[in-house]
Amino acid sequence: MTESETVIRKKTVIYVISADMILSAETITSSQGASRMELIAKKVREEIDRGWIGPNKECPYHPSHFTGQDCTFCYCPFYPCNDPDLGENIVGKRSKDIWNCTYCLFIHRPEVGKFVMSEIKRQNITDPRDPRIKEILPVAKEKFFRPGKAVMILGATSDAGKSITTAAICRILHNRGYLVSPFKSQNMSLNSKVTREGAEIAMIQVLQARAAGLKNPDSHMNPILLKPRGDTMSQVMVEGKPFADYDVKGYYEEFVPGPGQDIVRRNVDFLKKRYDYVVMEGAGSPAEINIYDKDIANMRAAEIADAVCLLVVNVEWGGAFAYALGTVKLIPEKDRKRIKGIILNNVRGNIDNLKEGAKELEKIAGIPVIGIIPHADLFLPSEDSESFRDKGSVGNGKMVISVIKFPRIANFTDLDPLMLEDTTIRYVEDPKQLEGSDAIILPGTKNTIDDLKWMMRTGIGDAIKKMKGKVPILGICGGYQMMGRVLKDPNGLEGRKPGDTPGLGLFDNTSEWDVYRKKVVQDEGIMIKTGEPVMGYEIHMGMTDVKEKPLFRIQKHFMPDEDEGSVREDEMLFGTYLHGCFDKPAFRKYFLSFIKHDGKPVKLEDVKDYDDILEDSIVKMTETFESGFDMKKLLEILGAKE
Amino acid sequence: MRILFLGTSSGAGKTTLDALYCRYLGRKGIKAAPFKASNLSLNSYVTKSGGEIGMGQAFQAWACGIEPAVDMNPVLLKPSGNGAIQLVLRGEPFMDITKDEPMDRDMVMEKVTESYDRLTEEYEAVVCEGSGSPAELNLQDRDLANLGMLKERSVPAILVGDIERGGVFAALYGTWLLIPEEQRPLMKGFIINRFRGDGSILKDGIETIEKLTGMKCLGVMPYLNLKFPEEDSMSDKEGKLEGSDTREAFMNNLDELLDEAIRDGLDLDGIDRIASE
Repeated sequence: MTESETVIRKKTVIYVISADMILSAETITSSQGASRMELIAKKVREEIDRGWIGPNKECPYHPSHFTGQDCTFCYCPFYPCNDPDLGENIVGKRSKDIWNCTYCLFIHRPEVGKFVMSEIKRQNITDPRDPRIKEILPVAKEKFFRPGKAVMILGATSDAGKSITTAAICRILHNRGYLVSPFKSQNMSLNSKVTREGAEIAMIQVLQARAAGLKNPDSHMNPILLKPRGDTMSQVMVEGKPFADYDVKGYYEEFVPGPGQDIVRRNVDFLKKRYDYVVMEGAGSPAEINIYDKDIANMRAAEIADAVCLLVVNVEWGGAFAYALGTVKLIPEKDRKRIKGIILNNVRGNIDNLKEGAKELEKIAGIPVIGIIPHADLFLPSEDSESFRDKGSVGNGKMVISVIKFPRIANFTDLDPLMLEDTTIRYVEDPKQLEGSDAIILPGTKNTIDDLKWMMRTGIGDAIKKMKGKVPILGICGGYQMMGRVLKDPNGLEGRKPGDTPGLGLFDNTSEWDVYRKKVVQDEGIMIKTGEPVMGYEIHMGMTDVKEKPLFRIQKHFMPDEDEGSVREDEMLFGTYLHGCFDKPAFRKYFLSFIKHDGKPVKLEDVKDYDDILEDSIVKMTETFESGFDMKKLLEILGAKE
Repeated sequence: MRILFLGTSSGAGKTTLDALYCRYLGRKGIKAAPFKASNLSLNSYVTKSGGEIGMGQAFQAWACGIEPAVDMNPVLLKPSGNGAIQLVLRGEPFMDITKDEPMDRDMVMEKVTESYDRLTEEYEAVVCEGSGSPAELNLQDRDLANLGMLKERSVPAILVGDIERGGVFAALYGTWLLIPEEQRPLMKGFIINRFRGDGSILKDGIETIEKLTGMKCLGVMPYLNLKFPEEDSMSDKEGKLEGSDTREAFMNNLDELLDEAIRDGLDLDGIDRIASE
């Protein structure tokens, strides 16, 4: 086992033992399971003494699970409850069973925390070991434990607006006090994010989880993730881990009828037990009649979850009524019954112009139009499908940032925060396009060596070398690996033909793919130069032997800090494995501060935290949807209170 | 011969397929002309007579091997930015359409059919193009280029659907369903455009649509990237033409694409048969 793997594995264990970081910390320092129980007892005694506190906004970890959570029992008085509805036994690091309730939110529900504490007080219980405590759980469950409902957002096409409709409905329900989880059974995306357990899920489910008020999205919310490899194959990730590679045919003929359905079922069931609502997002169109029986992302998933469905149509391209009606009519009767409403999305101009047509559609389709949603300009993460279509550049700002558009580019949402600044992001496929750049970024890629070879073939590689020292150059992940001296692939794991490939030689580093392994981890730390915070995540195969000054210091919980990245300030060269490095203002500000116009550094005003911008966008998006929805009708369909 | 290419949405590929068919007829020595009843576009072309028409019809005329003329696009609607739309009627600015001063639809439709009739007298074939989707429930009664042509001149139609965003079967079926029953028999065929990959995967879906609608599938086209001038606000912006002579570059590109389309099985004989009915 390599050093980095050890770290990842240890880190996973830390979180798996308990959802609570503080407890985990003390668990690590205590060597026996028994002392862990003593520790919990001690903490629960403190909690009982303190009484009901509701949400503890003073706590630095608040909210550790979801906005509005009850913090009375940071340490659960029922642990280990051994209730299969709430947790499961897992094998711990010393091959002993450990009760894992990482995903249980029951005790943090406001009504539950309050009830449990009031029962403890009513019965004058003071000792955390009092057997009467355990008897409160079944009573609380009887009173408050209900399986969740499911709603599914279908789209007449890709880019219909399913993702943001799902996010908006998550927020609408969250605002009404419900515990909500997003879900997309199958997502094809190059933009994944790492959960705290070290699992990969699609970026968009992370955003939806944020809209639902959740702090820690997990792999149940996107159990199948397909990552196109750039050839005809996709890497299929199941529950956050690599499962196998399939081509389209293999996926539909082997994976879907085999493990696919079970994966959907077990994850939907899992979420329904823990949340009031599972807001599911479909994939593509549900009316692809040529693959209808093999589609586990739409009506089949709705059936498994027993979900009510809403159909979203993008009005922008025209033909929306036809798309809506055709979709509804091509879906077989037994599934069609689930579709309770149609949403006409992304309407520019006067929404009243559509009202008569909408009435007519209702009559013909037999399904009400429950929303006509105006277009809104929102700042949200780029979606794969629309990001690069027809786009040579984004924005119209003063700082021209050239991003190398690798054929297998990945995790390009890293660049989204740059769009908050006065920038023009230019996607470069030709060395000529590098002229006039103020900065160059080599982004992530699904295949470093293939894309490095492409870059050298196109002449972009040489053009970049010539610009060394003139403009800031940053490599992220695969782009960082390319900046090194040599990329070694002795077994042909990345480049498929074994051997060494020379890098750009901007850094003295060597990257190597010696064995098949992948580092997937969330990182938190500081920028060494200023001590300001950075956050992000790493997803990479291949490890780098760094011979340069480090850029970041990653602060691991309860383990020594680690240096990360490379920097040569005098040559304006920067490299890091950290996806999302621009999200926090510090590094964005630092990197852009190297850009000079007329010999003077460009002025940067009020560099904002990307998280705050996302939150503002979610609020604005939800308001836009609420303004366009027939809210009474929507909540009635969802079975939610007003 | 006459035919009308309709699209399930903007940018479905009507203009491209229309131009390809124009070129095909031109190659066969059939005297053909393009026609688009109404065009919403800021990109216009000035004909030799000094009239203004949509750029698309100018290119399509060249594809036919003829000079563009105002009858080929009798109605050009140019958004002027402040909510008003300039109506260019047979090449001449006619009025500004505003909320208070709407267009006299029936009068305009009469001009449209006059232009169309002149073309059918002068040419052996008229290749018509629809506008946007013919299934906009809120616009259908005012429509000129889609339902207008179906109703007033009973032009047989071929529906083009874009598969790139998915939902193409729903789009084809839904559009067909929203064409009034009286005109539905004019819907003769469909073409699936922008398909990448192995076409055999679509077979069941195509058969279902054929059975449900009676329309025949006339081709599954791959990503035919016609480097065409901007047709309306929604179409592909990637198209750039190399070289100084736009017209020549366009024709060369069109010839290549037509050969490609034939190789990919575009059923031109089928379209001929429909156009000759």
